[in-house]
Amino acid sequence: MKRQTQSLMLLILGGALLNISAFSGTYVNYVKPGFRPLIIGAGVVLVGLALVALVRQWRDPSEHGHEHGHSHGPRVAWLLAVPVFAIVLVAPPALGSFAAGSEDDAPAPRPPTPVAYRQLSGGVPELALGEFIGRAYDPAGTSLAGRQVRLTGFVVPSKKKNRWYVTRMQISCCAADALALKVAVQGVPAPRENSWVQVTGEWIPWKGKIPNGYVIPDMSATDVTKIDQPVEPYE
Amino acid sequence: MTQGTPLDWPGAEDQLPPDTWGRGPARESWLPWSFVFLVALLVAGRVLLAPYLTAPALQTWATIFVAVCVQALPFLVFGVALSAAITAFVPASFWTRALPRKTYAAVPVAGVAGAVLPGCECASVPVASGLMARGVEPAAALAFLLASPAINPVVLVATAVAFPGDPAMVVARFGASLTVAVLAGWIWARFGRSEWLPVPRRTAAPGQGKGGAFLDAMCHDLLHTGGFLVIGGLTAATLNVVVPRSWLTSVAGVPVVSVLVLALLAVLLSICSEADAFVAASLTAFSPTAKLAFLVVGPMVDLKLIALQAGTFGRAFAWRFVPLTLTLAIGVSFVTGWVLL
Repeated sequence: MKRQTQSLMLLILGGALLNISAFSGTYVNYVKPGFRPLIIGAGVVLVGLALVALVRQWRDPSEHGHEHGHSHGPRVAWLLAVPVFAIVLVAPPALGSFAAGSEDDAPAPRPPTPVAYRQLSGGVPELALGEFIGRAYDPAGTSLAGRQVRLTGFVVPSKKKNRWYVTRMQISCCAADALALKVAVQGVPAPRENSWVQVTGEWIPWKGKIPNGYVIPDMSATDVTKIDQPVEPYE
Repeated sequence: MTQGTPLDWPGAEDQLPPDTWGRGPARESWLPWSFVFLVALLVAGRVLLAPYLTAPALQTWATIFVAVCVQALPFLVFGVALSAAITAFVPASFWTRALPRKTYAAVPVAGVAGAVLPGCECASVPVASGLMARGVEPAAALAFLLASPAINPVVLVATAVAFPGDPAMVVARFGASLTVAVLAGWIWARFGRSEWLPVPRRTAAPGQGKGGAFLDAMCHDLLHTGGFLVIGGLTAATLNVVVPRSWLTSVAGVPVVSVLVLALLAVLLSICSEADAFVAASLTAFSPTAKLAFLVVGPMVDLKLIALQAGTFGRAFAWRFVPLTLTLAIGVSFVTGWVLL
């Protein structure tokens, strides 16, 4: 790989990073929102480094390198074009129903740790899926029982009849560690797979004790509204 | 360009045509045509191909692949900058004074020093390579390489957050990771051979200032380790999509097998060490020892790291060092889990 090519490769890689972080919000499809300054920083460093190197090469094309036979850079560096291609050509969206899977025994979410949940506010409170599941498993009480709540997520079909899952992926760092948070919705027909919805309904209490292993909580829904994908697709 | 030959593909030198084949400086045009072709491909693909690349499996794969790369690149840039700074600005004599003269004493010191680099594993590989280039004993640099991503404060805090009310897990992770790093360093000091690990020699080209050496080292390392990061990302994303996780639950209850399975999972998933504690905590069906194995193995051996290590230190090194670390990590996890958890 020629020296100019090396610099240009760093330039398009840095450009791709800046494009998804500084000039648009697509980076939230891949990492936690808190990563933004880090990605912008890395993009700026890459672009800056490439520009400085290009200027040096333009000023003095034979500055160094050629004479001692190391003008070729590592060939493996060509692979740096792959993520750029993926970002430009596929423009990967946030993880959806394919990643969440339609099996019931998909990866379980974070264990319902004993958190002191506050009383739900009046009206129809909007809950994160993680909080809804946590409250359903709360040994301290049944703060959800008899309460109408609203959940936001995308639609994952179920193999069982008359139900579907309102789902949200939870990430702790990047999309590679995503886990699916699911609540089974009964009582309303399933909207189109992968569309984003708001579901209003009531938690269906466990039959008997709180289960030991992980069982997806159920909800009996009264209303489902289609919405646009939220700015932050992950929980 | 630095004298970075040992960092390149082994044999890459031999495969190149001799200089007489028209690669002389005089006949070379300034414009890199291969790059122009690449960009043309990109633009054409954007127009012609992009509307068809919508299969859910492909999109999921691409999301995970891009996520691994995007998440790792800032740390890689940081690590490479630090490594280049070590090479260009810190005199070699500093390390001989900072570290004990005897290798066996230097290894634990370097391992504990890993606690000060607040990054994940992507940053530690170039830094370890920079340390070796500056005359630090390879065994000590390797102990640093293994310990740093697992025992730095950011990772330990993340572990404490992921396992609330379970400080034993944090202690076990710290203790087990440091033990593995030191043991691996000692074993390498005793049995390692220098021809398995060609120490990257970095000397500034004649007449080149410190700034120029810094820039050259950084460009070279970024391109090189970045390329290997992409290999790791490709593999990890593929396995993430192809391997169903449902088979995990079926082995969760089996005592020894469950530990081995989570260790293997840590290798395959290649999750950043700052996030792996949350994933481990979510594997509720598994025993604490199995989760500990996941946390100890992940930052030391995973697909992304194997690619980075093979690229930075050579394949002869990687295929000896990776099995050694993996065995030690699993063994120490068993013992620590038995004692502490």
